[in-house]
Amino acid sequence: MKLAFELIEALAVFVVIFYLYCRSPAFRPLKPDWPRPRGKVRLYLVFSGIAILGNYLGVPVVEGQAIVNARAVGATLAGLLGGPVLGALVGVTAGIHRVTALGGSAALAGAVATSVEGVLAGLVHLALKRRPERLMTPGVAFVTTLVGEIVHMGIVLLLTHPWPQAVAVVKAIGPPMVIANPFGSALFMLVLLERQRDLDRVAAASSARALRVAERTLGLMARGLGTEVAAELAAIVMEETGVGAVGVTDTEHVLGWAGMGGDHHRPGGRIASPYTRQSIHENVVVFADGVRQRYDCTVSPTCPLDSVVIVPLQVDGIVLGTVQLFEPRGRRFLNMNKSLGEGLGALLSSQLLIARYQEQKSLLVMSELKLAQAQVNPHFLFNALNTIIAILRRDADRARDLLIHLSQFFRKNLKRSSDVSTIEEELQHVGAYLEIEKARFEGRITVETEVEPGLLQVRLPAFTLQPLVENAFKHGFSETLGPGRATIRVRRRDGAAVVEIEDSAGAWVESAGKTGLGMQIVDKRVKNLHGEAFGVSVSCVPNELTRVTVRLPAPAEGVAA
Amino acid sequence: MMRALIVDDELHAREELEALLGETGELEVVGRCANAVEALQAIRRDKPDIVFLDVQMPAISGLELLSMLDDDELPAVVFVTAHDEFAVRAFEERALDYLLKPVARERLAKTLERLRKLPPAAPRGYPRAEVRRIPCLAGRAIKLVDLAEVEFVRSSEAGVYVVTAKGELFTELTLKVLEERAGLVRCHKQFLVNVDQVDQIRIEEGLGAIKTRSGKDVPVSRRHLAAVRERLQI
Repeated sequence: MKLAFELIEALAVFVVIFYLYCRSPAFRPLKPDWPRPRGKVRLYLVFSGIAILGNYLGVPVVEGQAIVNARAVGATLAGLLGGPVLGALVGVTAGIHRVTALGGSAALAGAVATSVEGVLAGLVHLALKRRPERLMTPGVAFVTTLVGEIVHMGIVLLLTHPWPQAVAVVKAIGPPMVIANPFGSALFMLVLLERQRDLDRVAAASSARALRVAERTLGLMARGLGTEVAAELAAIVMEETGVGAVGVTDTEHVLGWAGMGGDHHRPGGRIASPYTRQSIHENVVVFADGVRQRYDCTVSPTCPLDSVVIVPLQVDGIVLGTVQLFEPRGRRFLNMNKSLGEGLGALLSSQLLIARYQEQKSLLVMSELKLAQAQVNPHFLFNALNTIIAILRRDADRARDLLIHLSQFFRKNLKRSSDVSTIEEELQHVGAYLEIEKARFEGRITVETEVEPGLLQVRLPAFTLQPLVENAFKHGFSETLGPGRATIRVRRRDGAAVVEIEDSAGAWVESAGKTGLGMQIVDKRVKNLHGEAFGVSVSCVPNELTRVTVRLPAPAEGVAA
Repeated sequence: MMRALIVDDELHAREELEALLGETGELEVVGRCANAVEALQAIRRDKPDIVFLDVQMPAISGLELLSMLDDDELPAVVFVTAHDEFAVRAFEERALDYLLKPVARERLAKTLERLRKLPPAAPRGYPRAEVRRIPCLAGRAIKLVDLAEVEFVRSSEAGVYVVTAKGELFTELTLKVLEERAGLVRCHKQFLVNVDQVDQIRIEEGLGAIKTRSGKDVPVSRRHLAAVRERLQI
């Protein structure tokens, strides 16, 4: 009985060592890994170690001929987890150690018996392989070890000579080993299961983490992939995943970086890693695990980073950049972080898609609005009415004419903006507008129109000229105090038909501001209709004149238009 | 009868408003201005009781015009605008009232009622914007001089002159307005200096002499030396 307790004592030391090992980063109890050669080697080494340790921690009996030992625990667990071959190998290894290093008359029998126990456990593994949840239980470990130890005793009886000594050995080691070792195995299994559950919890936490990243980046990605957004994104991903470093790139440069290696992986630097380029060019997730494939930093030889998962960010199959999760040397790249990285890539890509869609939608709405605004400019309308009311006091006929012009102007405005118009129609539209403006700015601004014959039927998008003429008034004459002159010319130049709108203010400034957008829209619409060779251009002599030129395809000369 | 000034860049708008004001029989129109610079001169010269001020005017808006006036020369102001978007802001400037073009007689009557209730010489305290451009006369034309180009401003019996590297131009604005709202520093009873244009300063016996970037001399009086030194952080 005393021996049984001593053995349990030894086992307790084991379990503690095993527990610590389980907690260390070197331990990877991931089941999918075991069938692979690397996983098998790992299991072999670990359980051989345990079995050999079992020899040393054993208690010698019968004048050192035999040892009450826990070797069987290592072999049995190896067999249960890795199958008969692994069980046998661990058993043989520990057995050889028993024979060569420690010796004694019962050594050979013990060695054989341990190997048999490993095979036995391996058979249990085969029998329950398809139902791992029943294989990996303390109960199975207990029963397997119990049976194994009974067989062990049988083998000792058979192989140890002389017979009386065999009986003495079994009497001494039998009860403690048969009683204690099954408990030991069961305990080992418990520790293993506990660790497995821990990892499952971590996996569950990782989904929660992915969701948190998604939540935090949603507003961010709407701002597009710029350096500011990239820096924030990298920081968020690093904070939530806990990896060593996170990089965000576009297709050519590093945009943002958080974590280790930030001293040489600077935003703005060109992409140097072949892995990143591969990810961008082939639109694939690239994983360098740090063992078979290393992330060799091409920027700095002292870079601590060793493993990486690179995930492309894409919209409509076009790669816009990458998100990269790094781990330094000596830290294993958790599978969980790899799949988390992949998931994050998909998630961020879809957020980018949404952002782009929103942007396009708002651009469309903006240009529509702009046109709608041009159609009903309240400032123009009320000033026009005010002018007509004033003129009505003295010249009812002229007021009447102006009201006709005003209604013509608004009637033309009701045309759909997608319609195609002619220069003639556009000039009528502009003409009605100019009549009103002439009256408004009477005494200050004069307007001239010159039209070369044969060009009136040239086609152009509706609402091309009116916004440009309005610009001349709104932005040109609003900046000058003195008198001004506006000229509208339609003529042939360099084989094209051009409409020139000139004002004597010369106040045009190139900017993406108010004038910019309106003119861009007009330009885009002309190009859509006639091609890239045509469109709107501006030239300006400050304080003298601004000339906006609309280039359109000219009809063949001599053809009656 | 109250004396009114009409400021609007559109001829017909001025005529219409004048006709409407005439119909009330309560106001005498003493001037009509087509832009802010003319208005500045007219307000100084004619001292109207009330100004009907168009908000959107070329080069200098009605709001900018207000910031170019001294508090004690400021008349009551009624903004006149064609479109609502300026009305709220104009009211924030604590104008007496605002009118929308075209102006209805009934609405104008309300404005006059408000005007009658206005206590004489009430402190108006318009919080006003900074002056960023100084309207100057260049021959017959009006030039808007950017504040950054101004080296210093001097006043003499002939009036106030804005001095830039290119030369000097007459302005209607007073030294007081330019000191308070354009961020120029008083260095002498008759001089304001732009500290960004100071090249060097020599101090002797409590007096200073500034050289500007283009090499012009500006005196610093005993009284203003401390303030100038503080602004130059010396």
